[in-house]
Order: sequence, then structure tokens, then C-alpha cells
Amino acid sequence: MTRFLTPSKIGLLALVELYTDAIVPTSSTIPILSFVLNQLLPNNLKSQPRDLASLQALPFLLDLKAFETLLAAHPAASGLPGRSLWDHFLKKIWDIDSLDALHVFFARRSNLLAKSRDELKKDGEMGIPPPSEDMIILSRTSPFGSFVRRSKVEFERLRFGDALALWTGFKKWRHDSKTYWSRRNGALGRWVGDSALADGEEEWGMEATEMLELVAYGGLSLEDTDEGCVSSDDVEKLLEFQVEQMQKIGSRIPMEVKDKFRSILDESIMIPSLSHYLNFLDAWRSGDYPTSFDNLHRYFDYTMQNRDRLFYQYALMNLAVLQADFGCYDEAVAAMLETISTARENKDNPCLNFALNWMYHFGKAHPNIIKGTESTNMLGVEREGLAFLRIKAKETGMWTLWSSSLLSEAKLGMSNGESVASIFENILKSSHLIVDKNMKSMMGPQVAMYSALWQRLGVTQLSRQYCQVFLSCHARYALFDDTLRFTGRVAHLLSEKGHYDEAMEKMESLDENSLRSWKANQYWLNYRGILRLKRDLHRNNLDAADLLLSQLLQSSGADSDSELSFEINMLHIDYLIRRTDYGRAMAKVEQLAAAMKEDGDDINLRIKLLTMKALLQDKCGRPQKGFSVAVRAASIAWRARLIPALWDAMAVIANILTSLSEFRASVQILISVLPRALECENCSLNAQLYSFLVNAYMGMAGQCEKGSLKRKENLTRCLEFIDRAFNEYSSLEDIKGQCEMMAKKATIMRIVGENVLANDYASAYLDLKKEAALMA
Amino acid sequence: MPLNERDTAQLRAALQGAVVKCSERCLYQSAKWAAELLTSIPTSDSLSEPEDSQMTEVPLEGLPPIVVTGNLDPEEAQLEAREINQYLLAKSFFDCREYDRCAAVFLPDTILSGILSTAVPKNQNTSTPKAKSKGKASSTRSSSNPVPKTPRLSQKSLFLALYAKFMSGEKKKDEDSEMVMGPHDGGNTANKQLVVIARFLEAWFSERMEENGEAVGSQGWLEYLYGMVLVKDKNEEEAMRWLIKSVHLYQFNWGCWLEMTALISRVEDLNRISPHLPQNILSFIFHLHTSLELYQSTSSLSRSLDQLLSIFPTSPFLLTCLALLAYHTKDFITADAHFSNLLALHPHRLDSLDHYSNILYVMNLRPKLSFLAHLCSSVDKFRPESCVVIGNYYSLLSSHEKAVQYFRRALTLDRSCLSAWTLMGHEYVELKNTHAAIESYRRAVDVNRRDYRAWYGLGQTYEVLEMHAYALWYYKRAAGLRPWDGKMWMAVGSCLQKMGRDLEGIKALKRALLADSYYDAGVGSSFGSGVRDRGGTMDPEILLQIAGMYERLDDDTEARAYMEMCVAQEEGAADNLEASVINIHADSQSSDDESKPGAGGGDPGAGTGVTAATSKARMWLAKYAMRTGDYTRAMQLATELCQDGVEVEEAKALVREVRVRLEG
Repeated sequence: MTRFLTPSKIGLLALVELYTDAIVPTSSTIPILSFVLNQLLPNNLKSQPRDLASLQALPFLLDLKAFETLLAAHPAASGLPGRSLWDHFLKKIWDIDSLDALHVFFARRSNLLAKSRDELKKDGEMGIPPPSEDMIILSRTSPFGSFVRRSKVEFERLRFGDALALWTGFKKWRHDSKTYWSRRNGALGRWVGDSALADGEEEWGMEATEMLELVAYGGLSLEDTDEGCVSSDDVEKLLEFQVEQMQKIGSRIPMEVKDKFRSILDESIMIPSLSHYLNFLDAWRSGDYPTSFDNLHRYFDYTMQNRDRLFYQYALMNLAVLQADFGCYDEAVAAMLETISTARENKDNPCLNFALNWMYHFGKAHPNIIKGTESTNMLGVEREGLAFLRIKAKETGMWTLWSSSLLSEAKLGMSNGESVASIFENILKSSHLIVDKNMKSMMGPQVAMYSALWQRLGVTQLSRQYCQVFLSCHARYALFDDTLRFTGRVAHLLSEKGHYDEAMEKMESLDENSLRSWKANQYWLNYRGILRLKRDLHRNNLDAADLLLSQLLQSSGADSDSELSFEINMLHIDYLIRRTDYGRAMAKVEQLAAAMKEDGDDINLRIKLLTMKALLQDKCGRPQKGFSVAVRAASIAWRARLIPALWDAMAVIANILTSLSEFRASVQILISVLPRALECENCSLNAQLYSFLVNAYMGMAGQCEKGSLKRKENLTRCLEFIDRAFNEYSSLEDIKGQCEMMAKKATIMRIVGENVLANDYASAYLDLKKEAALMA
Repeated sequence: MPLNERDTAQLRAALQGAVVKCSERCLYQSAKWAAELLTSIPTSDSLSEPEDSQMTEVPLEGLPPIVVTGNLDPEEAQLEAREINQYLLAKSFFDCREYDRCAAVFLPDTILSGILSTAVPKNQNTSTPKAKSKGKASSTRSSSNPVPKTPRLSQKSLFLALYAKFMSGEKKKDEDSEMVMGPHDGGNTANKQLVVIARFLEAWFSERMEENGEAVGSQGWLEYLYGMVLVKDKNEEEAMRWLIKSVHLYQFNWGCWLEMTALISRVEDLNRISPHLPQNILSFIFHLHTSLELYQSTSSLSRSLDQLLSIFPTSPFLLTCLALLAYHTKDFITADAHFSNLLALHPHRLDSLDHYSNILYVMNLRPKLSFLAHLCSSVDKFRPESCVVIGNYYSLLSSHEKAVQYFRRALTLDRSCLSAWTLMGHEYVELKNTHAAIESYRRAVDVNRRDYRAWYGLGQTYEVLEMHAYALWYYKRAAGLRPWDGKMWMAVGSCLQKMGRDLEGIKALKRALLADSYYDAGVGSSFGSGVRDRGGTMDPEILLQIAGMYERLDDDTEARAYMEMCVAQEEGAADNLEASVINIHADSQSSDDESKPGAGGGDPGAGTGVTAATSKARMWLAKYAMRTGDYTRAMQLATELCQDGVEVEEAKALVREVRVRLEG
């Protein structure tokens, strides 16, 4: 395998020569130039999304076909009429008719280049006139010029064997055009394109010549290899691209690509060390800890020799991230601490900042592990640490880190329940930075932050829209993880409205190949599990829910996402409540609350827990006991402007008031809360509010005199709100709620004295129960 | 010399035997050579043969046993039969290149050391100085002991064992030697096993020596080995004696003949030993081959080659000889044709393709040379020949660093690769690295003292360094090797001229002129026009030089005669020398910076046309005419000069002056 040159590069050189020969007509200049440039500078591919389809059709190794499709369409500007550029191109490549001609071809390449002043002087002395003005001559530093120069140098440094391989590869490469070429030029002999054999035939005779050809070109091997067609330069480019893709998108190598890779790498003796890195990434994504570990070490062992110890900290950093990903937190922290100290020693600020940032986030996620290492003093208190990071990032111009530290600050503010204005300020700053520096990769966290903020502020509509904007606009350039999370959030919102099937569909529609990545796959599985669990719980399908829960609880160990695990825990509590196992539910709540107190977790979750606790007291029939808890929850939620949580807490307070026979107050609260709560588009909240309202009105009806108009009025209101609650429950498919509402309705009907209707509702109630039993 | 049916059959049988015998003794190259020769004997209708002879005997005669041959000597045969198992073991060790182990099968180190300590004192007079000192030390210890007998082994086993020892020494030598041309590569690493083998063989021969100095029952192989050892010890006279003894005993060992060739450095030597050689076909081939190695190219040689080719019409070896013969007579086109033909017949054969690449180089046939390099590289890129071919190709592409790299590789593969040393010297000259060049040439000469190109190269390098006395010495060596090569004499002549020894210089240059026309005639005769007169094109350069020297000697008449002759070359003698012109000019055009024999093509056509030399001569003549008052002649010459466009200004000035004189 040569380092740089391949047959297709010879083709490109011929094309460049064609261009400088001024045969290319003006109209076809641009397509041809852009074709060559795309080969030379593959990075500018992205800047032309318009042509993406046509460019993607190009194979990794440029074959003759690609040249033909490009050139056959364009007529030549000079020469015989009716000849296309393709004919001229063929003439150029078939003129290389021996190994020697190949040497001559490369030796002549320097004629395409502009001469330096010294050369011109020398030429002048020798009596060679300077090239005329209207000749196309490549500047030495232009992309073409540097390509031509590099090719020449690379050819000069080829060993004979490699030059030979290039020549044989080239012969094979152009072979397809042989029939066309010989037809165009009148019947040419058998040895067209190989002058040595063609000349020799007269001398040796047919048979001996064939024999010599076999000896020289090794026609005896049956395998049709691409030998000599791939250069390590190509392979490296390909690997770089793949690694970049994997790091950007975060997915694994698709199967078919992997096979191709292997076949290419098998050929070369020199395996680029980057391929170990690729293997590492792939193994990492697939969750194969030993292999990824092994490959990471291998990669750094191979790069150590040529890049010196300077990159030691990067090795450590990769190692730390890897360890953390596989749940070896202690090792991860140790590695990262060493990274930090090495980076400090080497004054590698970007690395240091990145490591500190990682440390910060890691500390947020796993506070107990950080505590053990007494490394808190490294960054000081959270906020100071973030400010430090932000300043450092600004100093060293690490825009990504800067914006991510701003977002982190916003997030910190959010979870501490601080001023919404300052949160917005931080997000806006980061947004400005992202737009300014065009950091597409940061779009994910940014949008996630917006979406979360609006969610907390109770404007679910906006939150959802942000998610959708991301999915439709930014997902292409972002990590797959982000896409997954946003999809999950959309699905979550859908499930809150009871659209389980749609939510499921959303999850299913994700890219299958990207889901081959282990972590993403875990997340995806958990999320689907949660969706199904919710549905099962609502349908009162408790056995199935139990099964799912036991699986989910197992997988939501320490290493899974904290939000997911909280969700699972809440569902667990919900399950216990439905099982009417209040004791265990209470114990679970207490346990979660204790854990949360220790870790100082998100305020939103804490409020949710408090509310849940108050609700549990209510379920146990001692609603007053939850009063202080509920009030606390409400006041915290109000302070932190956590609107949905606030409504939740208010509902509980209203309920407590109801139990204290303060029906009027309760109704007042609920009536004022309801319209704002409806904005949150959370069916279960709505249903709960309505049913509490029903209770309050019922109490008010009870306070009125029997048979009075007031009572009747209240009862009618009850009925109205029961219907609303019933609707909400039925959109959630919550059987238990539906039944409860139906039972209440039947009771009211009986009170009103409409026994027939009461009977109807009672039978409807039974039907519902039966249906639910059938569904289960 | 046509052979009849019986002779052919005999020859074939002998060659078959030779192949088997040589390969039994692991002399692979000799076996290969014999087998090549064997298959090149045309088979007359072989189908008829089995029918007329008795059926039972056919397998015996037609198919010699491949693994082991019988031995005619009953005693040896008995021994061989007894040792057959060990022999097979030893042979397989040898084939696996485990030489020491192979030797130890028959000659364990204990036995060897025992023999060494006792056998020496008897032969002190023939052993090397180094051995002597050792011998003295051991003689004090074991002088009283009776000489213990060498172990009773068949000669075949003994040869194999000792040859394995020899090879092991060679292998170690190669391993010990430093990188080619590295700081410690003195080229003087020695084979350490030689002493052991020599002592052992001395003991063996002395045991069997009879009064008349002949060893009883010896079959020639051990003599060959002993000769080889002596060659390595630089004891050439003695070595030659033993080698001749060996070929008398067994003629079909080509390796032995090759060793002899290597020892002969002059034609006189060859003529001196010829009478001592046995008279058979191998000796004939040897004579031919050695003559070729000595750059002989007489017609008798080509006649004998033709005779041999009638017996072995397709032998690649003989075809190579044919091509080399043409090469030595500077008939490159024929040589190219012969080699090309050889290539078609044996596409996998790499031997002596390095010579072919030299020919292609001189002819400047780049595509062909590239194909040859391609072919060699495909067949085996780790053969010295392949590397030399590739190196030559790169040299032709003017990538001299790469060429050096490939020559170096060739030398790493085989340090005795003569052409690689010489060619590397040429490359170093191109790279202006004179010290390295001198070293390379020196090593080439050390490997083979017959290589005139290396001598010539040495001369050239010293001439570049302006050390003319040294240069002269080396040029003389080269001229001695190729007395009929004008280029050598020209170099000698110009060297003498520079040293101010004009008379000798004139002699040398005249010789160069003569030599040119000699080859001229030699080739011309094959084209049917035996032109031998002075009228053949002569190099104007030489003529100019001769004239210049005569001028310095104040011999104006001679000077003028040569100047006239020089100018006369413009028209050329006749155009009957179409084919030979190239050869002459390929040779004689060379200037100092050209390193390869005859690099660069000559002017096409019969005459040389106007060259710098003839113009100078014309100018001289014009001035001479002025001096002598022959103004019309001067006028004519000066106007001619103006037409030629060389040194126009001076010529015009001359014309004006002549006009003035004529008018005045």
C-alpha cells in the first residue's frame, strides 16, 4: 500500500493536465474543477448541500466510471470535433504505456507548475523562453499546485516495488476502458498500453509474450484484489472521517462499512493507529468494556512513539471518560485527577479546562464519589467553580466550554430554584455565543435548557415546540444522544396527554443503527419500559406492571440517568399506591427524600416528593397530617416559579382544606388554579384537580340544606366536573379514576333521586371494571 | 563438433549423474547449471528408444536414482550404504540451513578438535601463518602421540560435513560483517571455519597420499573443497593445483570450474594452465567462459561457442555467453537481441540479467529497462541481480540516491556481487562523493581483479581529484585488461598529456585510434565489409589531442597532418559503416564525467559533422595557414568557420585580417 498515490490520483493528475492544456471549454470548467477539488479537499463537501446527492454517489475509491460520467458529457474545446473530454482524458491515461512512461509522466508534472524566480532565471540563462502569458499554469501554493507537487514528491519517494504496484494497479484500474479506447483508435493490438510487451511481441512471439506477461503481472493469482488502489492516505482520511462521525453523531460503525474497513485494513501492513481508536470507539459504544479498554491502550501505545508524552493527559482523559461510562467511578475520578495534574504540568489549558468541566459535571451526577476523593477544593464551591471555568474558557477561547459552563450555571440556578431572570440571562448569553461561533454541536444542550425551563414555567406548548424545532432542524448535526433525549421528552409529553401509541411510535422511529450503541440502547429500552409501565398502571394491569417495574428498578442502578430513575421511582410509588400498599409507598418516599437531602438534588423533584407525601397521607385517610408538607411544597414551588409543581401542591392543600370542611376556600383555590393548570397539558393533574373540585363542591352541597336550590346547584356542578375529570381519566386510560368518577356520579344520581340513572352509572361502572379485567 | 547418438546419450547420462551428485553434496548452483545444460540437449525421437532395448533394463538406465547415486568404488559404496541414515539426516539439516548441526552428524566437535590438535605438525609447511602458531602450541603437547586416524567415513559424507562447516563459517561471516560501506565495513571479516577444514583435509589427504602425490580412491570432491578453502586463504597457486586435480577426478562439477575462472586474471594465465586441464567438453566450456570473463572476443571464441550451441541449442548459459560476446565487442544491438531472446525462453531466470540491464543502460532504452526491472522484481525482488537491474534503471532516471540504495541492497544480499560494487562507484561519482566512489571501486577490484570498469572508474575518480599519477596507474590497469578498447588508451593518453609526458601520450592516443578501428573491423567483418584502413571514422577529439601534443613538441608538420585529419572527419570516410558508427562513438565520445563505457550515443550518419573539436582544428589550421602565409587557404578555412557558426567572432576577425593581408 502506498502512502498517497493511487491509480485514481493518477487519473486526477491527468485531469489537472487536461485542464491546464486548455482543452476544457469555459462552460465545463466549473464542474470539472469542483470534481477535482472535492477529491482533494473532501472537507468542503458539506458546504454544498445542493449537490449532496450527486456527490454521495461517488465511491470511496474513484473508479474510471466516475471520470467517465463527469467527462463524457463535455465536448472538448479543441482538437477533432466530436471528441469529448473523455476521449482526451483516455488518451492521456493510455499514453502511459510502460512503467518508464509512468516515471516520465510524474517527472513532467512539474511543467504544470509556475516556475519560481530562480528557475526562471536559470531557464533564461539556458535560453529557454518563459512560458507565454495565456498558458494555464498552476501556482505552487494553490490546491491543484500543492496536489501536483505532493504527488511528485510522493512518487519520488516510492520504492521500486511500490512504484511497480502502482503501475500494475493503474493498469488494472484503466482496464475497463480498453475496449472503448481501442475501438476509438482503430483495432489496437492485444498489448495496447504496454509498450514493452507490444514491442517484444515481434521479437518473442505471441506465446512467449503471454508467458512474460504472466510472470511480470502475476496473472496466476485468482483473487481480484484492490491492491495498489488504496493508499494509506485514503485510509487515514476515511478513518478520520469515521472517527469524526462517531464523535459527532455518537453512533457505531454500520455493519457493511465495518466489513469494508476490515478488508482494506487487512491489505496494508502499516495499520494506521487511528484504526485502533476507531475500534475503541466502536467497542465503547457497543458496551464492550474489556475490548474498548484494550483498544484504547493499544492506540496510545502506538501513538506514544510518534507523538511523544505530550499527549499523555489526553490518554488519561479518554480513560477516565471510559471508566465513568462503564461505572468504574473511583478509577474514573483517579484518572481524571491525574489528567488534571498532568495538564497543569504541561500547561495544556484546553485539556485542563475540559477535565475540570467534566469533573464538575461528574460531581453533580455522583456527589458521594467525589466526596471520598476530597477533590472539592479543586473547584471550590460549585458556583465559584463554574465561574472559574467560564473565565478560563473565555481566556483560552474554548467557546464550547464557555457556553456549556453558562448553561451549567443556568441549570444550577434552575435546580436551586433561583431567579428565572438570571437563568434566562445565562441561557441567552450562551445562545449568543453559540450563534456567534456557529457551534452546531452545542445546540442540543441549549435547546434542552430552554425546553426544560418552559416546562418548569408551565408553558408546555413552548417546551414541546423547542423539542420539535431541535428534532427537525438541529438533529442532523448533533449527537445522537441529544436526539434520543428530545424524542424521549416529546414522547413523555405525549404520554402525559394519554397518547401512548403516538409516544411509542416516536420512540420506535429512531435510527436503528444509532441504537446499536449500548448506552443509547439502554436509555431507549428504559424509556419504552416507562411508557409501557405507565400505561399498564393506568389500565390497572398491575401484574404486568410489577414485572416491568422489577426489570426497570434493576436496570436503573447508579449508572443510569438520574431523571429516568426518579421517574421510575415515582412510578414505583404509584404502583404501590394502586396496590394500596401505603406503608411501603411511604417508606419509599422517605427513602428517596433522605437520599435527595444528602445529594442536594433538583428542587423540582423535591417538591414532587413532598407533594407525593402529602397525597399519601390523604390516601391513608389522614389528610391533615400532610398539611405542613403541602404548604411547604407550595411555598417552595412558588418561590422557584415551578408552576406545575405549584398547582400540584395547591391541589393537595385544597384537598386538605376540603377534609377540614373548608369547602369554600378549597373551591376558591381550585377554581383559580384550574385554568392555569390546564395550560400544563398534564391530564393526571387536571383529573386530580377536577376530582378535588368535585369533592369540595360535594362538601358545599352537604353544608346546604337538604333539597335546597343551592344544594342542587352544587350537585350539578359536581356532575359537570365529574364529567370533566372522567374525560381526563379516560384520555389517560386510567381505569381506576374512571371507575371512581362513575361511582361518584352514581352516588350523586342516587342522592338526587334519579335511581334509574344511578343504576345505569353503576352498571357502567361494572362494565368498566369488566373491560379493565378483560384488557389485562 | 556434431555428436553422434551414442555420445549424446553418454553426455546426457553423465549430466544426469552430475545433477544428482551435486545435489547430494548440496552444491545447488552446480546442480542447477548441470541440469540446465542437460535439458538443453535436444532429445531425438525418444519414443523409439525403449522399444529396441531390453525392457527390463530401461528403468535402470533411463531413470537414475534421484536420491542417492551408487558409487563405483566398492569400498566407498559399502561405507555409503552403512551411513545412509545419517547421511539423509545430515542432508536434511543442510537443506534446512542448519549447517553446524549437519556437520556434527558425521564430525562431532570432539572428533574435529582431536584431529586438529594432532594433525597439524605434519603439514606445517602448507598451513597459514596463523595456523602455524597454533600448530606449535599443539605440537608440544601431542608430538609423541601416533597420528590418530580420521574417522572412517565415505567421501560423500565427509564432503557434506566439511562443506556444511564451510557454509556455517560463511554464514557467520555474513552475520558478523557490518552494514555495506558502513564505518566498520572493512570487508575483511574472515570465515573462521577455514582453518579447521583445511587441517582436516590435510590430515585426510596425507593419510591416503601415495608416493606419487596422488590420493588413493579420492573422487575429486574433497579436492574441490580444499581448493576453495585455499582460495579463501589467498593461496592461489596451491588452490589452482588442487582444483585442477579435482576436475581431473570429476569433470562435471561446474562450481570447481568457476573457482578456477575466478583465479585466472589474465589471458596468459589461462593459456598457461590450459595444457594441465583434461580434454573434455566441460573444459571446453570452461575455456569459453573464462575467455569471456577476460573480455576476449576473438572469432575463434565465437566459433567454439557456435559448436557448443549445436550440441546444446537452448542452453541459457551458452545463450548468455553469446550475448556477452556481442557485448564485449560493443555490438549492443546483437547483445540486446540475444538477451531478449533468452528472456522469452526463460522468463523466470534472473542469472546474468544484470549484464542485460547494463546493455540496456548503455543503449538508453528506458522502457525496456523498466520492463526488465519490473520482471525481475516480480520474479524475486531479493536477488542481487534484481537489485542491480532496478539500480541501473534508477541511475538512468538520474535518481542516483535511489540507485545507490538498490546497489547497496544487492551488496547486502551478496557481498561478492561485482557489478553492484562497480555500479555503486559510478553512482557515487555522479553524486560527487569521490571517497565513497573510490572505496566502492576498490572493493569491486578486490572482489574481482578483472573488472576493467572498476579500474577505469578509479582512474577517473583520481583524475577528477587531479591526482594524475594515481589515475595513470589505474588507467593502465584498465588498458591492460582491455587492450583493444580505445577508450582506455585515450584515458591513458590524456592522463599522460596532463602530466606533460607528450611522447608517451601520443603513443597511447595513437593506440586508441588503432583500437577503435580494430573493433570497427571486428564488427564490420560480420557485416561483410572488412574496412581496415585509416579511412574509418576516427575520433576528432583524439586527433585534436595528438595534434596539440605535437604542437607542443614543436613538430608542426605532424601537428598539421593530424589537424587536417581531424577536420577530414567531418565528412566521414564513407557511409558503409552504418552499423558500426554507433559503437565507435558510443565509446569514443566519452568525456571525463561519463562513467559507463560508451554512455551516450554517437552522431548518426557517416561523418561526425561539425563538432567542437573539428572547429578548433580548423581554427588552428587557419591560423597556421596565416603563419605560413597561405592566405587563400586561411581565407577558405575562416569562411568555413563562419558558416559553421562556432567562434564566429574570432573567425570574422581572421577573415578581416586575411583580407588586409591579401590586399596589402
